[in-house]
Amino acid sequence: MVRNLVTKLEEAFLSLLLVSMTLLVFAEVVARFGFNAGIHWAQEVTLLLAAWFVLFGASYGVKVGAHIGVDVFVKLMPHNTHRFITLVAVGLCLVYCGLFLYGSWIYLSKMKMIGIELEDLPVPKWIPMSILVIGFVLLIVRFLQLGWKVVTDQADGFHFADEAEESMELAKELEETALATEPKEGANQVKKEGDK
Amino acid sequence: MTIAVLFITLFGCMLIGMPIAIALGLSSVTTILLFSNDSLASIALKLFEATSEHYTLLAIPFFILSSAFLSTGGVAKRLINFAVDTVGHIKGGLAMASVMACMLFAAVSGSSPATVAAIGTIVIAGMVRSGYPQSFAAGVIANAGTLGILIPPSIVMLVYAAATEVSASRMFMAGFIPGLMMGLILMIAIYIVARIKGLPSQPFPGFKALAKSGLIALGGLMLIIIVLGSIYGGIASPTEAAAVAAVYGYFIAVMGYRDIGPMKGVPWCKEGENFVTAALRNAVQMLWAFPKSITDPEVRKVILDASKVSMMLLFIIANAMLFAHVLTTERIPHTIAETIIAWGLPAWGFLIVMNILLLIAGNFMEPSAILLIMAPILFPIATQLGIDPIHLGIIMVVNMEIGMLTPPVGLNLFVTAGITGQNMVWVIKACLPWLCLLLGFLILITYVPQISLFLPEYIDHLNGY
Amino acid sequence: AVAAPVEIKFSHVVAENTPKGQMAIKFKEIVDERLAGKVEVKVFPNSQLFGDNKVLEAMLLGDVQMAAPSLSKFQKYTKKLQIFDLPFLFKDMEAVEKFQNSEDGQKLLGSLQKKGLVGLGYLHNGMKQLSASQPLKVPADASGKKFRIMTSDVLQAQFEAVEAVPLKKPFSEVFTLLQTKAIDGQENTWSNIYSKKFFEVQPYITESNHGVLDYLVVTSAEFWMGLDDGLKAEIKKALDEAIKHGNGIAAQKASADKQQIIDSKRSEVLELTDAERAQWVTAMKPVWKKFEDQIGADLIKAAEASNN
Ligand code: NA
Ligand code: NA
Repeated sequence: MVRNLVTKLEEAFLSLLLVSMTLLVFAEVVARFGFNAGIHWAQEVTLLLAAWFVLFGASYGVKVGAHIGVDVFVKLMPHNTHRFITLVAVGLCLVYCGLFLYGSWIYLSKMKMIGIELEDLPVPKWIPMSILVIGFVLLIVRFLQLGWKVVTDQADGFHFADEAEESMELAKELEETALATEPKEGANQVKKEGDK
Repeated sequence: MTIAVLFITLFGCMLIGMPIAIALGLSSVTTILLFSNDSLASIALKLFEATSEHYTLLAIPFFILSSAFLSTGGVAKRLINFAVDTVGHIKGGLAMASVMACMLFAAVSGSSPATVAAIGTIVIAGMVRSGYPQSFAAGVIANAGTLGILIPPSIVMLVYAAATEVSASRMFMAGFIPGLMMGLILMIAIYIVARIKGLPSQPFPGFKALAKSGLIALGGLMLIIIVLGSIYGGIASPTEAAAVAAVYGYFIAVMGYRDIGPMKGVPWCKEGENFVTAALRNAVQMLWAFPKSITDPEVRKVILDASKVSMMLLFIIANAMLFAHVLTTERIPHTIAETIIAWGLPAWGFLIVMNILLLIAGNFMEPSAILLIMAPILFPIATQLGIDPIHLGIIMVVNMEIGMLTPPVGLNLFVTAGITGQNMVWVIKACLPWLCLLLGFLILITYVPQISLFLPEYIDHLNGY
Repeated sequence: AVAAPVEIKFSHVVAENTPKGQMAIKFKEIVDERLAGKVEVKVFPNSQLFGDNKVLEAMLLGDVQMAAPSLSKFQKYTKKLQIFDLPFLFKDMEAVEKFQNSEDGQKLLGSLQKKGLVGLGYLHNGMKQLSASQPLKVPADASGKKFRIMTSDVLQAQFEAVEAVPLKKPFSEVFTLLQTKAIDGQENTWSNIYSKKFFEVQPYITESNHGVLDYLVVTSAEFWMGLDDGLKAEIKKALDEAIKHGNGIAAQKASADKQQIIDSKRSEVLELTDAERAQWVTAMKPVWKKFEDQIGADLIKAAEASNN
């Protein structure tokens, strides 16, 4: 239940960030071309949304297996060796997160102490920058979860995104629609002409 | 020593299956901590800079979003119809039409495997029914599908532009002629095979049908016109054009073609409905479709899928910038370049070495990751040897195309195996003759820079340079 | 044992052959010669370390010791330095120089202290000109046109004062946007217009000299206060000489680049008559009033006096 709600919220937030970036840049073009006007804060806000999108999304990516990596070699190993190597890799990922979390914390504290505002909006700079710390904390949580899954033998690797697999969804969808409906279009035209 | 630590940690981390982004980041941080006195805080600052100071990079998520909207089965079908109507009546016409459909789909999607899946699913079966050998059909499509990253807009080109700071619009223009040329080479090869084997042709459907299918296909193809048109017509920069393309992609998929989303299955004109009521009904329904899109599961899935891919790429790029930062401050490409020049390796020799290196990398890794690691190293060397950055980019992209057809990691191979239901060995054999063609094309692209440079230079010339 | 030399990382965003790049190299040379073993300067050009937007933050973190961003970049650190963005405040570089060397000008160097930075000296780029796709002779010509500006409230107000549309766009996108006419014009110094090839895509350049684009050589207070006074004085002396050297190159380059642009015949350079210039001044001068509270009326007056 809770887990489902968290996933829904993460997905909605991530999508919202992407859509807002897109619409903001689109609005800028419309304003400039259609109304001969500029949106003076648009560029800064778009870029900050981008930072949030990436740093927030990275942990979600670990959860759903959206990152990419080279797993052809580890997959050749026996199951338990694979699990062991994955644990080492997860450990190194946690080292990465730890180093960045530490650095981000110092950076953020310094910015908060100096107290500078954003260029175009009257907002203290450290507030939007806090995603650095938030992002790495979330990333640590996700890697710990993954590590636990490997320890308890529910997973053996990182489960990387597979563009080929995703493209196959498109193929499946096409096959299903070709069977379900009697289309007037493409597939059928090819079939008709093939038949004669 | 620095070079050794950087690359050994990078490849070590990748080998044990860490996400590439983190492998890049961790090897960079380790090197910085060991060999320079930068603080962790400034490395965090550098990462934040990489995610929040690069406006041109935003073209990547926007293009991914636009092709996510247009990489649907419905769009593929419309493009195939148009292609069959155009070249289907020539000998071997169905195969040629398939290549053309791949080229058209390539022009709206930035992805090669998606092109194979969308076009291949329909046309391979159709070709087999028309009497083509299945291996022939599969080989043609797996190859033509690689054009997805060569014909603009292309995500891989944007990644190259990001890694080397060359102009994305110039890269797009440079990919145009090579893309068309490769398509044409495939079609000519098909024609020759068709003559020898006596493969069938389709009847010509007449100009009226051609015009109709062309008009329908135009909805999707407008995307490339919008993108290149707004960049060169003075409305927008590549980033802005990509945002416009994403909004257009939503409109055409949800409101125009109505393949997905709240308007799915709603006809433009019901039977017996007059024009005025149809127009009014459509207008009201379309307005209502905006708020409904927010909760529509299909629209949300498209956006979420695009978010996942974009986020993943941008996270790699941010870490790759740290990596490139280490490379430049430690003057690593410089050192390598000096070594190579000390060997007396000429430009053509360097290009051979580079192609072999990239082809090997293409066996194991995905295009964007390869580019992000290799481009910052190869770029300064190539510049010193007098190779044009844009030309270098196109060579790299063609190498990445080939990488999609080579085992063990070849995305197009996987998809082709999936849609034909055959095993990998069969697919590899089917692709092999066409792969040779592609290798020949790589040599051509590598040693005739004019193919890539003609169009961007011609446009410069039009602008009076 | 001998103490390790003090390391100064000098990070900037331009090429080594620019006045700023040359100034940094000169500074390194002087320090190498006089303070060998005591101070070591490392110059990182071309944004190798950090871009202009992040370099000040890196300085506060102690990872960069010197940089020279343009004066507009400091508007969030102190409102006072906005004075250099005010339109038509200085009639030429001589006046700029005179004000910068005056007591008020030197006092301004300390205005960043609260935010942890110390200004060490002003470095010139030059007077700004207006370039556009249409000839700009009077303020009305600029009305409704889109101009790219750096992020700066004053520059935004300056273009709004002539009913033009100021657009903030990253420097890297400016050329494309000008070439495609997505934006109509921009303001910059002769040397930037030349080196960034803006003159090739902007058929008209108005020699307006309407503002100044200068840099501030800056260091972090923490670093600076940590040095002993003798060393501080020697570094400052070396820097002053390097800045003088850089300013000399900047002045030469401004007139040479202007000539190159004229000789290229790609762009027509328009001169303003006194009457035309007066119109621009009348239109833009209200901007002073708008920022008077932030900058200080006395300071503006003092700067204006440097024209005499
Ligand atoms: Na494409
Ligand atoms: Na491969």
